[in-house]
Amino acid sequence: MTKTLDYEFLVEKFSRGDETAFDRIVEGCSADIAVLANRLLGWPGDVEDIVQDVFLAAFLGLKKFRCECSLKTWLFTITINKCRSYRYKQMLYLRFFSKAAAKASATGTCNEGKAQMDDETFQEIRHAVQALPLKYREPVVLRYLQELSMEETARILSISKNALQVRLSRARERLRQDLTELIGQ
Amino acid sequence: MTEDKIKNLLYEADQTAGGPVPLSSNLAAAVRRRASRRQTANLALRVAAAAVILFAIGIWSFNVKKTRDRQRIVALEMQIKELKTQTDATLNLIREVLDEERKQRRLNELQAQLASYSDPLEEIQKQADKTAFFLVYQANRMYRELDQKDSAIKAYKRVIELFPQSRWAEVARQRLSEIQKNQHDNSKGDLI
Repeated sequence: MTKTLDYEFLVEKFSRGDETAFDRIVEGCSADIAVLANRLLGWPGDVEDIVQDVFLAAFLGLKKFRCECSLKTWLFTITINKCRSYRYKQMLYLRFFSKAAAKASATGTCNEGKAQMDDETFQEIRHAVQALPLKYREPVVLRYLQELSMEETARILSISKNALQVRLSRARERLRQDLTELIGQ
Repeated sequence: MTEDKIKNLLYEADQTAGGPVPLSSNLAAAVRRRASRRQTANLALRVAAAAVILFAIGIWSFNVKKTRDRQRIVALEMQIKELKTQTDATLNLIREVLDEERKQRRLNELQAQLASYSDPLEEIQKQADKTAFFLVYQANRMYRELDQKDSAIKAYKRVIELFPQSRWAEVARQRLSEIQKNQHDNSKGDLI
């Protein structure tokens, strides 16, 4: 609650023209944004560009922010949107340069492969999450990894709680199907 | 597999993946720089768009003005042509009227001139009369003053021959008869 109030105060300060308030917002939220972007994009590690894009959008739109939700929720919504457009751009890129890109992505994932069995298992889990359609992956990341409440998650995704529950249930089902064999081992 | 188990698996998988690469310390400054660049670019874009729009409006208005001017010029040319046609027609009419007047004047002058001339027959008659008179006068002088009876008789005869209808022919005949009578009387007296 205190943090929320603090952010509201910072937003107000920024609206009055105090740009140091923005620095404090970046300091406070950048880590969470980076973690969320990292998870949404399939743990690529380097997400600075996305984080910069998110804060750039926030910088340009912060004066219009009416504090109807918490600043973090607002920033998470922006992050979701930025990750969607990032993935969409990647998809377009893959279409145009399919062979080269496929090779690159294959090597990229191989780099993360580890000798140990556990690591391989967890990597498979991460792949399973990555393989989920966007509408299931986003609720899973927000709810299970970011550990946001149902209300917050529904708000960020602009869907109802019921729809969120349905999506989560279907996502779990898919993961269960994908991971049964793996877990069975 | 329960929800909690899936949740735990996901959590562990996330943990083993490691977090994101640490962000640069001057992230806020970088964002501000990008924002500034974007704002400048937006401003430049707006200015460029405004300039393009103004330029387009300028060209459009110039074309409109040019078209209007051209239309006005065409209209003026048409008016000038009409005026010229009207003027030509009026000038032709004036010229015709002036020609007519000049002809009328000339006709009047000629008629006046014609009226001023006397009748030539009359004139000839007069001249003939004058000539006859002059011949008779000469003959009288020759007979009475110069005593040239033969020449006088010749002159009287000539008047009778040339102007038989004139009154001086009658006078000449009288004189001739008088002369003949005188000659006859004189011959009688000589005989007596």
